[in-house]
Amino acid sequence: MKHVVIIGNSAAGIAAAESIRQIDKTSKITILSDEGYEAYCRCLLSYYLAGEVDEEKIPYRPKSFYKENNFDLLLNKKVVSVEPEKNRIVLEDKSSVGYDSLLIATGASPKFPKGVKGLQQKGVFGLRTLKDAKDIVALLSSSGSVCVLGAGLVGLRVAHALSKRKLKVTVVVKSKQVLSQMLDARAASLVQKKLESNGIEFIMGADAVEVLGGAQVKGIKLDSGKEVPCSLVIVGKGVSANMDLVKDSKVKCADGILTDKFLQSSIPGIYAAGDVCENFDLTIGKTAVNALWPIAIEQGKIAGSRIAGASEAYDGSMGMNSIEFFGLPVISLGVYDIKGASVSLEELETFDENKGMYKKLILKDGKMIGAIMVGDIRASGLLLSLIRNKVDVAPFKDKLLLEDFSYPHIAGKTNEKEQMYV
Amino acid sequence: MKNLYYVVKKCVGCKTCELACAVAHSESDDLSKALKEKRVARPLVRVYGVSGKDYPVTCRHCKDPKCVAACMAKALTRDVKTGMVLHDEDRCVGCWMCVMVCPYGAIRPNHKIKLPLRCDRCKDKDQPACVKACPTKAILWEEEPEPKK
Ligand SMILES: Cc1cc2nc3c(=O)[nH]c(=O)nc-3n(C[C@H](O)[C@H](O)[C@H](O)COP(=O)(O)OP(=O)(O)OC[C@H]3O[C@@H](n4cnc5c(N)ncnc54)[C@H](O)[C@@H]3O)c2cc1C
Repeated sequence: MKHVVIIGNSAAGIAAAESIRQIDKTSKITILSDEGYEAYCRCLLSYYLAGEVDEEKIPYRPKSFYKENNFDLLLNKKVVSVEPEKNRIVLEDKSSVGYDSLLIATGASPKFPKGVKGLQQKGVFGLRTLKDAKDIVALLSSSGSVCVLGAGLVGLRVAHALSKRKLKVTVVVKSKQVLSQMLDARAASLVQKKLESNGIEFIMGADAVEVLGGAQVKGIKLDSGKEVPCSLVIVGKGVSANMDLVKDSKVKCADGILTDKFLQSSIPGIYAAGDVCENFDLTIGKTAVNALWPIAIEQGKIAGSRIAGASEAYDGSMGMNSIEFFGLPVISLGVYDIKGASVSLEELETFDENKGMYKKLILKDGKMIGAIMVGDIRASGLLLSLIRNKVDVAPFKDKLLLEDFSYPHIAGKTNEKEQMYV
Repeated sequence: MKNLYYVVKKCVGCKTCELACAVAHSESDDLSKALKEKRVARPLVRVYGVSGKDYPVTCRHCKDPKCVAACMAKALTRDVKTGMVLHDEDRCVGCWMCVMVCPYGAIRPNHKIKLPLRCDRCKDKDQPACVKACPTKAILWEEEPEPKK
């Protein structure tokens, strides 16, 4: 019997397992995870931290899921290496598991910057796993203040969550703006102002060099020499792909495991999907890792159906994210800043500072390649569809920023399958 | 499976469907009381005027729904038996991922209650309220056509 092994029990791994089972009811499917929990909604961890979502709402699938689908789930098993020439993976306890097809869906882990001293202390956390979240929550009652290092998506979500828990929150940001991986300077400043007006403090253009304390965190020291007291430190400096397990193999990697249009790696029979996977990026035109939940799902689906013998191809991914802090919604799609672009790009924008409303679209050769929306996000799905379908928007460019820009403006242009009008 | 379709030629943009929809989704199901409710119901269908014509827009309950794939809280699911995309308000955290990925722009954020507005085909009634309300019979409640190959 064919044996499919999936390393990773989260968005990408589960999507793949389900899509294999849709086609193939009999193969043996083994799912491994180095965590101790059944699949859960990782993106809800900051909501859990804020006390807005209970643990019972965290599971991603019902209890009966693994049994009903005949998936063998192995928890608390860390895979340390992949041996393609022997078609097997090796676990931390030195045991090995053979496979016919292998999917690597190991996700990513928070980056802990090397230059900062004292990061190993108790009281310093990244937020990636339910265990991280529980460990942080356990310390909340004895913590009055927190420093968040980095102002990326997870860093700001944690800052937002802990301010809801009434902690004094200081965010230390090395660059000139927050969310530099998804927003331009103007949108970023709207977000920052919103957070500041709700009591979160920012120290911009500064970097931590040391976490102070010993048995207990007492504060952080910045590169300016300044010290900021706190009893908790959260590191939000981005993530890196969990691909250590293939470092001694011939599986080709860049920022992630490089994959083709079927999500297959450079070694036949070994696939990758999700945060560990590098694939073609539709808006920047080269390969990239887009470490996002919906992308992990779509890549997992395609990899799974391929493993089960289907031939649906993947056209690529793109950056996209939605955030909301204290009632200010923000969406970023694809290319969000034209600074330093080598080709000529066109920008369309509207900005109303008083209303906190900002929209910017980026076009290349008459086609949209990116957008930012702050305050009013209603049209974001339409814009995403225009980007993904590479629609020539030149003929109706003047409509894109209208307040009632709506599906009828683009009906028939975007290859959507479902019919609406007769 | 039945779906909602719109005869653009017949739609006059009166927005009677919007009103009927909001009332049907109010607590009281009664126009005079609906406006005084704590959670004021909003229309899940919207009618947009584009180039002199009027077009209602509603959730298509897609067979391969992007919103369900993107929902990071597992609040949106697709019921294979009924073909309906269902939303569990208790699980929803209002992250707007569904708004971001809907290619029809058929999901709008309701910022007041932090929940998405999306047509549920009046699932508890025998037919959607908009169908009954439309004075020009521009809204069809019909079996879906066979998928195009
Ligand atoms: C707090 C937070 C908020 C987020 N918010 C958003 C958001 O708003 N929008 C968005 O798009 N994305 C968000 N993300 C990112 C999103 O969670 C990831 O993109 C998604 O989880 C990727 O799924 P994955 O299956 O690739 O990897 P992961 O979810 O990281 O899962 C990896 C799996 O592999 C297992 N594993 C790893 N290494 C090994 C090993 N060596 N051996 C065995 N098992 C292993 C892990 O145990 C886990 O089961 C957020 C993430 C966090 C932490």
